[in-house]
Amino acid sequence: MTAEGQVMQPAAIGADHGAAAVSPHARRGISNPILGMLLFITSEVMFFSGLFAAYFSTRAQDQPWPPAQFAHTLNPLSLILVATVILITSSFTCQFAVWAIRRGDRRGFIRNISVTFVLGIAFLLLQAYDYSLLFGDGLTIASGPFGTTYFTLTGFHGAHVFGGVLMLGVILYRGMSGQFSAKHHDAVEAVSLYWHFVDVVWIILFSVLYLL
Amino acid sequence: MATQVLTRPTTVYRSGLYEWLTTTDHKKIGIMYVINSFLFFLIGGLFALVVRSELAQPGLQVVADEHVYNEAFTIHATVMIFLFIIPMLAGLGNYVVPLMVGAPDMAFPRINALSFWMLPLGGILLLSGFLSSGGAAAAGWTSYPPLSEVGPLKSPGVGEDLWIVAIILIGTSSILGGINFLVTIFKMRAPGMTLFRMPIMVWTILVTSVLVVMATPVITSALVMLFIDRNYGGHFFDPFGGGNALLYQNVFWFYSHPAVYVMVLPAMGIVSEVLPVFSRKPLFGYKAFIFATAGIGALGFSVWAHHMFTTGSVFLPFFSLMTFLIAVPTGVKMFNWVFTMYRGKLTFSTPLLFAVGFLTMFLIGGINGAFSASVPVDFALHDTYWVVAHLHYVLFGGSVFGVFAGIYYWFPKMTGRMLDEGLGKIHFVLMIVGFNLTFFPMHILGLEGMPRRIADYASDAGWTDLNLAATIGGFMIAASMLPFLWNVFVSLRNGKIAGDDPWEGNTLEWATSSPPPPYNFDRLPEIRSERPLFDARHGRVVHEAQA
Amino acid sequence: MSSTPRRRLAPDALVAGGVVVLLVILVAVVFLTGIGRSLYPPDAATTQAQDTRDLYNIVFAIAVAVFVAVEGLILWSVIRYRRRPGDDELPPQTHGNNLVEIIWTLIPTVIVLYLFAISYQTLNQVDALSAQPDVQVHAVAAQFQWKFEYLDGSGNVLATQTVPFYATTSADCPKTQEALTNPACGGMALPVGKSVQVSLDSADVIHAWYVPRFLFKRDVVPGQTNRFEFTIDAADVNQVFRGQCAELCGTGHATMLFTVLGLSSGDFNTWLTSLEALNHRTPPPAPSGATTLQLTAHNIAFDKSSLEVAANQPFVIDFKNEDPGIPHNVQIEQSDGTVVQAQPTIDGGQETNYQFNGLPAGTYTFICVVHPTIMHGTLTVH
Repeated sequence: MTAEGQVMQPAAIGADHGAAAVSPHARRGISNPILGMLLFITSEVMFFSGLFAAYFSTRAQDQPWPPAQFAHTLNPLSLILVATVILITSSFTCQFAVWAIRRGDRRGFIRNISVTFVLGIAFLLLQAYDYSLLFGDGLTIASGPFGTTYFTLTGFHGAHVFGGVLMLGVILYRGMSGQFSAKHHDAVEAVSLYWHFVDVVWIILFSVLYLL
Repeated sequence: MATQVLTRPTTVYRSGLYEWLTTTDHKKIGIMYVINSFLFFLIGGLFALVVRSELAQPGLQVVADEHVYNEAFTIHATVMIFLFIIPMLAGLGNYVVPLMVGAPDMAFPRINALSFWMLPLGGILLLSGFLSSGGAAAAGWTSYPPLSEVGPLKSPGVGEDLWIVAIILIGTSSILGGINFLVTIFKMRAPGMTLFRMPIMVWTILVTSVLVVMATPVITSALVMLFIDRNYGGHFFDPFGGGNALLYQNVFWFYSHPAVYVMVLPAMGIVSEVLPVFSRKPLFGYKAFIFATAGIGALGFSVWAHHMFTTGSVFLPFFSLMTFLIAVPTGVKMFNWVFTMYRGKLTFSTPLLFAVGFLTMFLIGGINGAFSASVPVDFALHDTYWVVAHLHYVLFGGSVFGVFAGIYYWFPKMTGRMLDEGLGKIHFVLMIVGFNLTFFPMHILGLEGMPRRIADYASDAGWTDLNLAATIGGFMIAASMLPFLWNVFVSLRNGKIAGDDPWEGNTLEWATSSPPPPYNFDRLPEIRSERPLFDARHGRVVHEAQA
Repeated sequence: MSSTPRRRLAPDALVAGGVVVLLVILVAVVFLTGIGRSLYPPDAATTQAQDTRDLYNIVFAIAVAVFVAVEGLILWSVIRYRRRPGDDELPPQTHGNNLVEIIWTLIPTVIVLYLFAISYQTLNQVDALSAQPDVQVHAVAAQFQWKFEYLDGSGNVLATQTVPFYATTSADCPKTQEALTNPACGGMALPVGKSVQVSLDSADVIHAWYVPRFLFKRDVVPGQTNRFEFTIDAADVNQVFRGQCAELCGTGHATMLFTVLGLSSGDFNTWLTSLEALNHRTPPPAPSGATTLQLTAHNIAFDKSSLEVAANQPFVIDFKNEDPGIPHNVQIEQSDGTVVQAQPTIDGGQETNYQFNGLPAGTYTFICVVHPTIMHGTLTVH
């Protein structure tokens, strides 16, 4: 049994079944770690669904929304747009990294993952700075339902970005120590799926919080 | 007719403490899950005895004040749900699922170990509330705001926060376990085991794991929001600050209703393994059973607001209809079980007794649930002891009896020793009589108007006799643990050697030694149906009689 | 090496079968004797409750039929299909039967759809609200007491009952007919035969208004006003119906009791007029020379845990409520729980003089009736 979860199947008695022709490695289709990551992402989607349900329900019953004192506090054409562009770009560079390692281009992989990593950190720093501006405007987690929902949603998203940045750091390190090849890079696929998920959640968040 | 021996008998592999603490072997982890969950069953049971002792007579005799009583039933339910039933079934699943699908372990063994160790940690966090000045959480296991928010008459102490963190931790353990089960089941089945040849136990764990992965994160979100309200001045649920108290209930029950299927489906899986073996017939309607299970899983997401019929803000007809409809697939399963026994040849082993106990008691729980599905009737019965009767008939009469069926059935596989049948029968009789004595009177108490979660009741309410009877029953249930514990203790040392397949089982776990070697199987039999061992033993019986 | 199940099974089967038969007998006893009637809700006291009870009859009948049929089938199979000792032959290996699966899917579906339909019908009757009910009451729930405001047609408060539980244990309120029409004895009086609409509001956490004889409860949710309507049967005149909070609301949940009194229209009008007078009564000044005790409520606690007064002399408690938004009072009880004198509550920021008649020597308890488990002390009379 290997650490990655690829399992050696025991040989079965009897020869007349088609399954014997399949290689002893896991069944065809996506690998175990990638299926695991997809299921994990599913659970995270459900977590955010709970928070979004709270947001929409609160928004529906609290009119006007935004409340008068924060009518213009959340401005889509501000620093937050820069952060959005940065995060979307990082999804592209992440995918470039995946394509690179799929064709065995280790250098291209490291280059693109490094950029993704840096962009992820940049997003977090911009988010933190934006928070300080909002605090200055009087919008906090305790300033009413508007503030509570805003900071809860963006805060947990930020926490997930942070987790993603850590994961990017790990695969960057592993990539630099030569642990990935065209045939074996499940961790890269898994982390990139997670990173895209984080990006998609942000796009939805940004649209809902700033545009709607 | 002896079962063909497929592996050489191995001596019991003795492991030291360090091995147990650091193992990633699903069998050891499964056993630890079972032991840990059983310990919490006893702890939860102790709290139940506190509750029952207090309610036996009017007046406050046992607890110092109402707050302590509220802590008792809160922690009782929380421990039973999150630290006993859900992980116990996950633990039994952890042990048998890889064996039943012919895999050498779970897909992610290290995450499996992590999932386990989060449980004692969560339990300690939860119970440490008792050491704090405000005591443990006391707002009910449902923890509705505003009562669960901070405030002098609400839940100001840190006990409630510990409760929140403990459940988030335990929920995460559950989700990781669910992911592990799904990947194992989808990707690691032995050749020949198509999805429709998997044992029903595996199917129920599959559907349960889908529910766990999709629903548990939602309660995490509800608890996170409650934590923010309590500790960061949030306004999700406080109605005087722009929030909505019922929002919590909707998000909470969106998880907690599917959670009841998480608590019962694997127990149904156990019953579906035990009945065919001890009836010497296949499970009647294997495919229908699978569709019924999937149907319950899906429908289970559409009924949550039936816990909120009296709140005045629920679209009543929809939730009432879906709740009534979910009785249909449940009924299909009940009939399939009965017709498995029908025209069979039943051996009254202890596992079978507990499985039949499940059938008879879960039926009652399902029937009294139908009353609550009818909204006007629910207006009378909600938040009374009727609901306490219902939930215990399905969760105790159902799940707990299923759990014991599984323990008696798989103990020989896990330990290599048989449990004593005589002690097992004493356990069963004490338990089923005590259980009915405790919970049947609660139907009457609920109808007569006794609300839930009250520390005391008026001496002229007319509820004293039935409460006393229920308390006696509660102590009988406690007493039934004694023959069980004695049985385990004695059988571990001196029980009859089980061998590979003491029950003439149908499924792959009986195709290896008891206990299995660390890698599970040397070789597997051919898998051509959902009963590969039966086929091997009987040379693939071909004549299939249609009823 | 595997072992076939041991042969010594017939006695075990009989024991298990015996237990099961015993349980069946117990259930039969419940149904066939008078005890069986307790599996019914109490006699309905309102038209809506009767609708619910009629529905319950049908649900119950179907439940019994299903129970007897399925439980019977289980028990019969268990007994009839026991394996005889020594019989090693396999029974017919029936895998299933699609027709039968369809049948036992369709029939239960029809049954539950029928149950849903009749439930929905009854629900519309029970939940109906009229545009002009005869009586309107606004019930306010707070930890841990009820307050009932009687409203006029435009929603203005005519009178407020702050003593929700009807008790005929004190000297002022003997167990007579008169006590029923005296609002100071407590309770939520209502006229029978008239439509009563109750609106529910909470001052703090979620509570629930529940009267078992009405087969009805409704949550009291802060931030939302729930509303329901009922008509008490004329035949239930002069009856007292217990009510209780049915949603966990904290440490005083079990004591949050109230009573509904069904009165004739005439008696109800008398009661309401008396309540209005009671609300507007200005307390007479304290008799000169009477002992005055000082007591303050602050942070849901009395500032003193013990008071002393001389026996057989009237006395006054000068009570200040310093908790904004929270009602309190001071009520004195004998050691057996009998209320000496019921006193109205005052809101936060108010002060009042509670007058008490002379008490014989002894030890008494004083409580705040809204927070009895937290606010209490000892009154020594010597």
